[in-house]
Formats: sequence, C-alpha cells, structure tokens
Amino acid sequence: MADTGSFLHLARPLAPAAIGSQPSTAPLNVTIQPQAIFSILDHSLRRSPDQERVIGTLLGTRSEDGTEVEIRNCYAVPHTETAEQVEVDMEYQEKMLSLHLKANPREVLVGWYATSGELNTFSALIQNFYGQQGEGTWPHPAVHLTVSSVPGKDIETRTYISAPIGVTSERAGDSCLFIPVPYEIRYSDADKSGLELISGARDREDRSAPVITDIETLERAIEQVVDLIGRVSNYVNEVLDEERPGSSALGQFLMNALSLAPKVDPTTIEKDFNNHIQDVLVVSYLANTIRTQIDLSNRLATAALTLGGGDALQGNEGKDGGDNNNRRGGDNRRGGKGRGQNRQQVEQ
Amino acid sequence: MAENPLRGVQVEALVLMRIIKHSSQAFPTTATGSLVGMDVNGVLEITNSFPFPTADAPTQDGPQDSNIAAAAPRAKANAVYQNEMIKYLREVNIDANNVGWYTSASMGNFININTIENQLFYQKEINERTVALVHDVSRSSQGGLSLRAFRLGASFVTAYKEGKFSTESLQKSGLRFQDILQELPVTIHNSHILTSLLHQLPTQPSKDEFEAPPNLASLLQDPNAPVPPLCPNFDSLDLSIDPFLEKSCDLLLESIENHHTELNNHQYYQRSLGREQAKITAWQQKRKAENAARTAAKQPPLPEDEWQKLFKLPQEPSRLEILLNSRQVEQYSRQVDGFTASVSGKMFAVKSNLLPGGGEGV
Repeated sequence: MADTGSFLHLARPLAPAAIGSQPSTAPLNVTIQPQAIFSILDHSLRRSPDQERVIGTLLGTRSEDGTEVEIRNCYAVPHTETAEQVEVDMEYQEKMLSLHLKANPREVLVGWYATSGELNTFSALIQNFYGQQGEGTWPHPAVHLTVSSVPGKDIETRTYISAPIGVTSERAGDSCLFIPVPYEIRYSDADKSGLELISGARDREDRSAPVITDIETLERAIEQVVDLIGRVSNYVNEVLDEERPGSSALGQFLMNALSLAPKVDPTTIEKDFNNHIQDVLVVSYLANTIRTQIDLSNRLATAALTLGGGDALQGNEGKDGGDNNNRRGGDNRRGGKGRGQNRQQVEQ
Repeated sequence: MAENPLRGVQVEALVLMRIIKHSSQAFPTTATGSLVGMDVNGVLEITNSFPFPTADAPTQDGPQDSNIAAAAPRAKANAVYQNEMIKYLREVNIDANNVGWYTSASMGNFININTIENQLFYQKEINERTVALVHDVSRSSQGGLSLRAFRLGASFVTAYKEGKFSTESLQKSGLRFQDILQELPVTIHNSHILTSLLHQLPTQPSKDEFEAPPNLASLLQDPNAPVPPLCPNFDSLDLSIDPFLEKSCDLLLESIENHHTELNNHQYYQRSLGREQAKITAWQQKRKAENAARTAAKQPPLPEDEWQKLFKLPQEPSRLEILLNSRQVEQYSRQVDGFTASVSGKMFAVKSNLLPGGGEGV
C-alpha cells in the first residue's frame, strides 16, 4: 500500500460515555476487506463530474470491547457539497442500511468513507452524524476511511476516529478532532483465488483476464516456484564461489526451510504414491464410466427404434434399466480389483 | 429474443470479490444474490451485485435453510427486495439493470431443479438476456478460482414451457441433457483505478540488490519482506487428494442412486402400462369374438372403441429429473478429470523430488 504516514498510536481519546460505564481508551485496530476498497473505488469512478468526492457507509463487525473493527462491506450514499453547505441523503442512508442488514444481519454500522484524503468542516459534520447516539455508532467511535483517488498519484488509504472538540455546544456539532488509527487490508483464504485472478489482469492492456482452468493455475504456480528456487540456488552458488558475501541469517533461514523436508523411507513413499495414484486413476475411470453409462442409458431411452414402433421402444426402456444395472455390477467388479477405501465407497 | 446471442460474460473485480465473500461466509449452505450490469453488444457486463436476504424465515435445521436460500432468486419477497435495491443503486449511478443472479456451489453440485427454475424465472420474467453465475467454493479453495456462467438452452426452455418431458416429446425435439445448460466464457475485468491500486501492492519479490540481514530475527520481522503474493496463488500446489476423491465418490454415488430411483419409476410405469395394454388387448379380442358371434346371429355389432373409456393408461413419469441428473453426472466426471490431470502431475513431481533417481525403477 501507499505510504500511510507515520504516527504514534497509543490510546484513543475519551469519548463521551454513558454514566456508569467504563470508558475505554484502548487503541483501535481497523481491518479492511478488499471488497470494501474495491467498492469504494468503483463508487469514486461513478461519481458525477462536478463532485469532488463521494461518501458512503461502512459496514462490518466490531469486537465486543470495540478495539477491533473489521470493515467488510460498504455502500454509496448520495450527497451534495457546496462551498457553504453539505447535504447527505439521510433517508437513503437509513433505507439502504435496513436493506443491507436484512441480507447481512451480522454486520453493523461502523463508520463512513470518503473518496478524498482531505478532512474539512464537512467531514467533521458527517463524522458527528455517523458517530451520534441513536442511529450512529455511539458509544463506539465511528471510523472514517479516506481513499484518495487523485489521478497520477498513488491511492492513499487512511483511517481515522474522532474526538469531540469545540468550545461551545453550538460549535461542537461541526468540529471534531480526527485521530489517525492503524489499519490493515486483510484478505481471507477464500479471497485468495479471486485476487489471484484479478491481479493476473493488472498488466494487460484490456484490463481483463479469462477464468483459467485448474491446470493452468498449477502451471503458473509451478513456473513461479521454479523461478524462485532458481534465484535462491543462484545466490547460494554465488556465495559458494565467493562472488558475494554470505549472510549467516539467510543461511540459517534456508537451513530451517530445508529441514522441513520430510525424511521418509523410499519404500514408504513408493507405497503411498502407488496407493494414491491408483485411487485417483480409479475414481477418474469410474467417473467416466458412469458418465458413459448414463449417456448411453439416456440415448437408449429416447432412441427411435425402427423395428416394432412404439411397443418395442417402450419395451426397450425396461431393458435399459436392467442393462444399466448389469453394467453397474460390472463396474463394481472392476473396481473391486484395486485396493483402498475410496473404491469401497464406490462399491456400496 | 434479441438478434445476437450473448457471447460472453464480463465480471467486474468488485462483483467477484462480493460473490466470494458472500459464498464463503454462507458456506456450506447455499448463498444467492442478484447481479446488475448491462449488455454491451452481446457481452454481458456485470458491474455490481448484492446478496438476497435469507433471514426472513429463520429455521433451525440445515437442509431447509439452504433450500430457502436456493429458492430465493424466484421468491416473491425477494423480487420486491431486488426492485427496491436496484432503485436505490440507480441513485448512485450504478447500472440499474438486473442481468442475472449468482449462487454458490460445493464441488459442482449446482445442477438441480432449483437452479433450473431460478434461471427459467429470470429468463422468462425479468429479461431474456440474463445469466446464472456459479461460484464453486470447494473448488476455489484448492487454488484455481471456479466461476462459471450458465444460461438455459433455447430448446430446453421450449420443452419446459410445454411442461412435457416424456420419451416421445424428447424424441421429437431431440433434446439431450447436454443441451440443458449453455456455458458462457467468463472474463474478469478491472477498472483503471483498480489496476492502479493493484500496481501499488507488492506481488513479486523485488529483483533489486538488498542488504543482507544481520540475523535471523530481523529477517523474519523485516517489514520489507514480501508478503505472500496475490499472484501466483500457491494453494494450487496443495497435495490433499483424499478429501476430494471422497467427496466426488459420495456425490457420484448420490447421482447414481437418483438415476436408479428414476429408472425404477420408469420400469414401474412400463410394467403397469404393459398390464393395462394386455387387459385392453384381451378386452378387444373378447369384443371381437362377441361381435363375430353377433354378426353370425345377424345382430348389430357392439362398438369396438369402448376400451378408451373403460381403461386408463398410466401417465408417463417426467424424464426431467433424469436429464438433470445426467447433466450433473457429466459435470462431476469432468470435474474429476480436471482434478486427475493436475493431481497426477503434482504427485509425480513430489515423488521424483523425494526419490531422486528412483523414478525409473517403478
């Protein structure tokens, strides 16, 4: 990610809390899921040309003590901003929130985003709106996420929470202190395959990539690994030839990695290998046999037999069923020759 | 019907991530949602999506729960939800055309009556040019993403409209199980701004010269150390075979059971049809003999087609289930084929790695 700037993150400010409850000042951590960022970027593309920035609501989960916030989802909220005033479509925000909560009952309102890195009075106003009591995130602080999308510059993402400031109660409404909080963009295991495909398209002119088959994915991964291993062995050779200074740390790391290789008896490997490859091949064979049988059964059932007309056809169907059963028996016998629990299942 | 058929489906990265998120959260129950976008010269561009609510009818037991989600796309309540959502999305300049729906699947078990009816509903009620996106969670977890787009074949839609799947009608229309679903090629598309974001993320270990770290600890904690890259995804090198085989076998067996039940139904129908026909023939012969006797006695003959009133031929069971089941089996076996291809490669690689030089002896 782009440089997030450096700041010291020790504690968050005291928010006005209900009397009796213990206000927490523990630092806040924000995790952002990639689809939220993607959605914000999509929204920033779809803004009207005269809009400087667009805003939207962030949804996600919050840990019980409120120190961990995960931004999982977001939606756009229309707003208009002029030099003097800002208008957020409150009704839209409420309706959309209820629609989203219907489909994702586990997610809650956690804050809002804007597609510019700038913080101004209007930001404070909106921030106070999202952090208010009632519909807002109170007593937890609202998280403000800015994703700058200035052409020609890196996309900068920042997260803030706020503390109330203001001398008088009138001024408190449109002013607040934004405090940067650390964040992390984290993707889950399930997202990985999707992100792989998406990032596969990044160097292409048309910015698109076809969905590739498993075997192509495998090929790419293997090519990459071979490449990486080549680099490492190159480095090791250079160190051995004393062309480069060695590093004990790197050596140690490589030793650690190498020691992960299992030490097993060659005959065991041989045996396991044979068992597994047979399992795989037999299942594949059976699957294809079954497919052929079913295809055949369908064709026989609907084949227009010339002799005997309709009666022969109908007689054929019963035969077809029996035929198929016989063949299934045949499958079982063939499967029975091998070993392994998988075949047992097929035989059931 | 539009003049040019759909040639492909282009899925925006955002939609892909949303579907993945929704599907993996709901796994192992089915997750369904709606797709919006537009049709540009035969390529369906899917630019946004939203999930369908399933919480309206909370149920305790699992299978019923997944049924609700699976049937969600054609449920009445969701049509309202969908229209409302699209109305709101239009306000923020999102393409407000409904172009289909998505569902999650596990190991390719998506070919069933639910999927067919959902897609039929979409193609009939909403827009002819709609697709069903199927995201296979189990297969995606093995590395390669599995996202496929389907439409119902025209011949199948006609047959379904008539509601007849008898042997005779199938013979006439020549409909085969391969024609039920048409698959469309799927491409993933990134916006310019997303491409720029992706270029900011580190993906490849840098090729530059680097300072050797002073010790192991600093190497492990190095902030510049490359994080696991987005591309390639090393999950596809995973060598877990047994779970896949086990699941495939289970699913195949299930399909065979279904096929068998359906065949039994048909056999039963054949037998009762045979019985009825035998009875009719007997009756006809009796009537003929009677008539012959009456002609001999110079009496007017009795009508010979009364059997149509007296006997009722049994209804032929629909072959739709068999067709779907066959398509499902085909899907499974293709899946197994693909798996075999990659896994045997991996296994030979592992073996020759662990037994260098011993490979020839086998």
